Amino acid sequence: MASEEKFDKDIENIKFQLQNEIIKLCSIATVSGFESRATEKVSSMYRDRLDSFYCDAVGNHILLRSCGRKDAVKIMIDAHLDEIGFVVTEVLDGGFLRIANIGGIDRAIIQGAEVTVLGDETLHGVIASTPPHLKGDDDKLPTIDKALVDVGLGYSKEELEKIACVGTPVIFDKTYTSLKNGRLAGPSFDNKACGAIAICAVTSLEPSELAGDVYITLSCREETASRGGAYLCANRISPDYAMVIDVNLANAPDVSERESVPMGEGISISYSSSTSRALTRECARLCKEGEIPFTPKAEPSSTGTNAVAVNIAGGGVPVVDVGLPLRNMHTYNEIIALDDCYSLYRFIRAFVTSRELAEGFAREEGEI
Amino acid sequence: MRSMNPYHRHILNNGPAELEDISLVVALASLFGPTGCEDRVAHFVLEEARRLCDSASCDRMGNVVGRISLGDPQKRKRVMLSAHTDEVGFMIEEIKSDGMLTFGCLGGMDPAILAGKRVLVGNEKTLINGVICSKAIHHKKKSERDSAVDSDKLYIDAGFTSREEAEAEISVGDFATFDEPADNSFTFGRDGQTLKMKALDDRMGCAVLIELMRKLNRERESLSLDLDVYFCFTVREETGCSGAIVVSEKIAPDFALVFESTAVGDIPDAPSEKRVAELGGGAVISVADRSTIYDAELIDTAFKVAKKNGIPLQVKRYLSGGNDAGHIHKSGVGVRSLAISVPTRYLHSPTCVAHCEDYRSARAIGFAMLEAINEI
Repeated sequence: MASEEKFDKDIENIKFQLQNEIIKLCSIATVSGFESRATEKVSSMYRDRLDSFYCDAVGNHILLRSCGRKDAVKIMIDAHLDEIGFVVTEVLDGGFLRIANIGGIDRAIIQGAEVTVLGDETLHGVIASTPPHLKGDDDKLPTIDKALVDVGLGYSKEELEKIACVGTPVIFDKTYTSLKNGRLAGPSFDNKACGAIAICAVTSLEPSELAGDVYITLSCREETASRGGAYLCANRISPDYAMVIDVNLANAPDVSERESVPMGEGISISYSSSTSRALTRECARLCKEGEIPFTPKAEPSSTGTNAVAVNIAGGGVPVVDVGLPLRNMHTYNEIIALDDCYSLYRFIRAFVTSRELAEGFAREEGEI
Repeated sequence: MRSMNPYHRHILNNGPAELEDISLVVALASLFGPTGCEDRVAHFVLEEARRLCDSASCDRMGNVVGRISLGDPQKRKRVMLSAHTDEVGFMIEEIKSDGMLTFGCLGGMDPAILAGKRVLVGNEKTLINGVICSKAIHHKKKSERDSAVDSDKLYIDAGFTSREEAEAEISVGDFATFDEPADNSFTFGRDGQTLKMKALDDRMGCAVLIELMRKLNRERESLSLDLDVYFCFTVREETGCSGAIVVSEKIAPDFALVFESTAVGDIPDAPSEKRVAELGGGAVISVADRSTIYDAELIDTAFKVAKKNGIPLQVKRYLSGGNDAGHIHKSGVGVRSLAISVPTRYLHSPTCVAHCEDYRSARAIGFAMLEAINEI
C-alpha cells in the first residue's frame, strides 16, 4: 500500500513538473517566421541537459541527447516550435495597429483578445471589437484586414511607427489557468506543449538507457509552410526513424467522434498512408505493453502534420505520428489534460528506449 | 470567496501614486457580479457606505443605498446618485452529460466576442475557472468562417468530465462572468493610464459614488450644501433596470445623477458621426438616449461648471443606448435627471477600455453638479 501511494505521488510530481515545463516553453514567443528570436531563451532552458543545441539558418532548433555509443541509430522526435500569431501591417493614428494573421486564426475568436506587440518596446493591447452601432446588417465578421490592435491612448503615429513598425510580431497574451481534473487552459500549447514533454521525457533518462542518439527537433514554420522546417531537419539528420508529435483535435460538443480524439484518455496514434505502417504498429504495441492509454486514429491520406514532410525527407524516413488531444485549438485558451501529457511522456520514454525499434528500423541503404 | 488578484492587492497597498484612485476601480471591477448575482459587489459597497454615510442599508433585491445629509434640514433637496452594481454575464442553462456547460447571456452581448474567453463560473459562494469553447477553425466549413458562433453553439469547459462531477459544484441557474486579466496588464497605453478589464461598466460608476461618499464625509463640516445625498448602487441594470425602478420610487428624489459607461466608436474606420465620443476627451453628457431625454437645465449647468472648473467634458454625439435614468426620470412625480458617463470602448466585453482621466472627470463633474444643484 505504502509503495502504491508513493507511486501515485511520483506520478503527481511528474505531472506537476510537466505543467511547469509546458507553461515555461509555451510562454516564450515563437510566432512562425520569428522562431530564431527565441533561441537564447530556449537554449538557456535546456542546454545543460543536452549534448548539443543548434539553431539552423531558418529557425529550426535541434537538440541532441546522445546515448554515448558509436554507430548508434539516430532517432528523431519532431515537435514544431512555432505558434500562430499576427504581424503588424499598418500603423495608424490614435494608438491603433492593423494586423494580419500568421497561421490559421478564426476571426470568430479574435475580438476582445488581449495581445502583446513585440516591438522595440513590448506593448499591451486589445483586439478591437465592433461596437453594435457600427455593425453592418449582415452579421458577417469583419475580414482579417480590418482587424485592429488598440494599444491605448497617447501614441502618435510617428512614435508608434518607431516602436512597432510594419512587420512586428503580435502574440496572444501568455496567461494560463487551471481547470478541474488537471486540465490547463492557455495559448500556444500547439505545439510547444509537445516539445516540452519530449524534452522532459528524453532528458529524464540516463544516456545508457537510450536506444540511440535522440534528436529533438523544435522545427519552425509548421503553421505557415506546407512542408515546414521539419523537412529540413530530417534532411540534415537523416534519422533511422522518427516520431512527429503534434496536438490533435479533441472531441467537443458539435464535433463528431470521427473528426476528433477523446480527451483525458491518452495520446492518439495516427494510421495514415503518409506514415510508416510498420512503425505505427510497433508503437501501438509499445503502448499496449506499457499500458499507456492511446486512441488509434485513421487519417487516410494525410496526418496534417510534419509527419508528411519528415516521411519524404532524408531519403525516406519511417515515421509515426502521435497526437496530444487539445480542445479549442488555435485560440488563446487551448485546453489540454495533464493526464494525456503524462501518457505522452511515458510513450516517448518507451519509444526512445526500445531496442526492438532500434534493431527493426536501423537504416539499411540498398544499392541502386 | 475568491481572493483578490495579488497584483490588485499590491497596487491597492503600494501602487504608483498616480494610480492610487484607480485601485478602487480595479478592485470593484474584479469582483464577480453578473446581473442577478451582485452580492459580492453589494457587500463591498455596503461596507464602504456603512463606514462613510449617515445611514446605509441593502434592500431585499440587493440594492445598496447610503445617505449623507448636509446642511439645513428644512432646505435640503433630495439628490439621488446612482450606479449599477451588475455586469454583463451568463447564466448556466444546462449541464451536459460530458460535463460541459451551456449558457445564456445576461445583458446585451455580441457573440463575436465570446469564443475563447476565460470565465468565472459560480454564484455568491463558490467560483471556478472555465473557458468558453467553440468548434476549432479546423472543424469549420469555409461557409461557417464568415460569421460569429451563436451563443447557443458555445459551451463552457470547466474541466469536468461528467454531469455528476459538475453537479457536485455547479447548478443550472448559476452564473458566469468574464475573468479579469491574469497578469498585471490591466493598465496600458503610453502614459499607462488606459484601463482594460471586464466590468468597467459600471464599476467605474460605483467607484465614483464611493469617492464622492468619501469626499462628502471628509469635508462635510466645510461644505455649505443643503442636500440629502443618496448613494444608490442598483442591481440588474443590464436586463431592464429593475433595481433602479425600486430604489427611485423609494427615495423619490428631486434630482438624479446617473453615473454610467457609454459605448464609444472612436476607432479607425468608424464614420465620424458614429464615434459617439472620444476616449480621453473627458466625461460624456448625454442629451438624449434611447430611454431618456435629459433635463436641459442640468445639461447646460454641467457644461457651465465644467468650463468654470476646467474639467474636460464632451457631449454624446450619437443617440444610442440607455441606462437606469430611463426609469429614474419617470419615477414618482418625475425626477430631473442627468447621465454622466465615462466613455468606454468595447463595452460588454472582457476587455472594456477606458481612460483614467475620463473617470476622474466624471468624478469631478459629479461633485461640481452637487454644488450646482444646491444653487438651483
